[in-house]
Amino acid sequence: METLIEVKNLMKIYNPGENEVRALNDVSLTIMRGEFVAIIGQSGSGKSTFMNMLGCLDIPTSGSYFLNGKDVAGLSDDELSDIRNKEIGFIFQGFNLIPNLTALENVELPLIYRNVPAAKRHELSVASLTRVGLEHRMDHKPSEMSGGQQQRVAIARALAAAPPVILADEPTGNLDSASSKEIMQILRELYEEGRTVILITHDNKIAASAKRVIRVIDGKIVSDTNYGDGKSIEEIAKQIEEEGDKQAYV
Amino acid sequence: MSQFFEYLKMAVSNIKANKVRSFLTMLGIIIGIGSVILIMSLGNGIQGVISGELEGIASGQIVLYTYDSTGTYYITNDDIDAIVEEVDGIMAVNVYQGFEGSTVTRKGEFSVNGSGQMASYQYFSNTGLLKGRYFNEKEYLAGTPVCLIGEADAIRLFGSTDVIGMTIDMTPNWGNSVSFTIVGVEKEPENSMFGGGYDNTPVSLYFPMTVLTQIYGWEMDDYYQIYLMAEKDADTASITTQVVSLLERRHQCFGENIYQYESFNDIMSNINTVLNAVTMVISLVAAISLIVGGIGVMNIMLVSVTERTREIGIRKALGAKTGSIMMQFLSESAIITMIGGLIGILFGIGGASLAAKIISMVSPEMAFTPSVDIITVLATTMFSSAIGLFFGIYPAKKAAKLSPIEALRRN
Repeated sequence: METLIEVKNLMKIYNPGENEVRALNDVSLTIMRGEFVAIIGQSGSGKSTFMNMLGCLDIPTSGSYFLNGKDVAGLSDDELSDIRNKEIGFIFQGFNLIPNLTALENVELPLIYRNVPAAKRHELSVASLTRVGLEHRMDHKPSEMSGGQQQRVAIARALAAAPPVILADEPTGNLDSASSKEIMQILRELYEEGRTVILITHDNKIAASAKRVIRVIDGKIVSDTNYGDGKSIEEIAKQIEEEGDKQAYV
Repeated sequence: MSQFFEYLKMAVSNIKANKVRSFLTMLGIIIGIGSVILIMSLGNGIQGVISGELEGIASGQIVLYTYDSTGTYYITNDDIDAIVEEVDGIMAVNVYQGFEGSTVTRKGEFSVNGSGQMASYQYFSNTGLLKGRYFNEKEYLAGTPVCLIGEADAIRLFGSTDVIGMTIDMTPNWGNSVSFTIVGVEKEPENSMFGGGYDNTPVSLYFPMTVLTQIYGWEMDDYYQIYLMAEKDADTASITTQVVSLLERRHQCFGENIYQYESFNDIMSNINTVLNAVTMVISLVAAISLIVGGIGVMNIMLVSVTERTREIGIRKALGAKTGSIMMQFLSESAIITMIGGLIGILFGIGGASLAAKIISMVSPEMAFTPSVDIITVLATTMFSSAIGLFFGIYPAKKAAKLSPIEALRRN
């Protein structure tokens, strides 16, 4: 398998000086193309900072980050915008759709910033919305849709430009359990289709959909377990629980 | 380029999403541009009225006078002949010599202002004839006592304008009495802006100046001022210099500024200068309201940026660059001010033609046509867009500089 993400000695320090906070402390990690990885940790563990780094939304204090073969650690704002646009599909906890745009217009956004011509843009967006089962909701505004539907629009938006990485930050955090199942089902399907999915969550049950689970505590990776394709979600969930209990006593 | 249209579309859809607010923002620009256009076109209208008024009276007319404290320099009949002979572009020369007197008709006794004119009087009279004719060269040379009278004065003296062939026995305050035969009745001026005809003002008569020889007993040959009428489209400035230097040569007084002049074209251009200045000053005041409107746009755009911080964060996370966000917000403020400007232009033009309607209802004889030239319209449109861009820069910069995580964190 081909390396997609390679992080080495990544540091992120807030308030350097006496009261400095090491949100990420010397993190190294490699993710292959086609993996389904969950990054888990309690709030304050540094997993959100990690997600911001992986998503190129923030710049590390030190360390290197190769994404799809490109060194992105020292890029400028506009260069990072380009990387986010081409390499990463974001799925956020709060959906982050633009309220006065329709579902279709929201899905078209990353394509607009990629200079895709209007006709092609429309075609890709319709296909993407159809993929998440919202072909009949394309002209609805976010306020006219349920949370689950909104998150599916967000997934469609992340898929439309076919980026190598899908980065999902607590994608089910604002959803009821039925919608959560739906969303996780779609993420699993995306993995099965061969996409790389990175899931950031504090919920062990949600993380159990992934095949590889990385636990972050106090800005450090404390465990990195590859469960493989053989095990069921329930088995993986149980092992994550046990692993978590073990870490709690360390 | 295709990106640019996307930003325009985004801007338009956002303006539509906040209709009331966008309209209120535009209001300042609408009022500013509207008043600039209104004032400009009313100013042009007033200018038109005044120049129409003066053109009827005296376009191309030049008054030449001697300005001499010693009283030794006059303009003589020979001078006049020389001017007509030597200077091109002069249609007519006239002088007039007045005298006062009285006459008695069956309507009573009237004081009379007699005005002796040359045969070229017809070129200087601006109202035209109601009846009869002007006196001619032959009558002028012969000193025939014929006269012209105004419409209103005819009615005052005789109760009618059918006075051709009637006589007026005129007793001057000094000199011999003369009996004038009326040959023509002049129309009253179209509007009474400069008009007379009140009961106690003297009656005016216009007659060949040579008649004064009979009254005073000597021939008129020295004048303080003469009137020149330039041919249509002739250069009045060059005619004046030629006439002045001719007179200076004939009277041996080069460069002493004894012969001076007033050209009505000069007066017109003076009036226009004043009017333009007034229009400019009022427009300046209107332009200040435009700047206030622009600040309003900036204010709303700042509010909009704060409100849409999260949207900006989302857009940046999805790949919008600093320039893209900047363009989006700049297009928004430019479109708001441009639409405001266009509405303002319509309001300005509409207001001006409404004013014209009211004026034509109140005084129908006044030819008031407000007008605004395309350059003013284009300039104001450009100016309003420029205001949008200028006052949009700060908010747009503020929006574009937001970091995506900061922006996403905010609600």
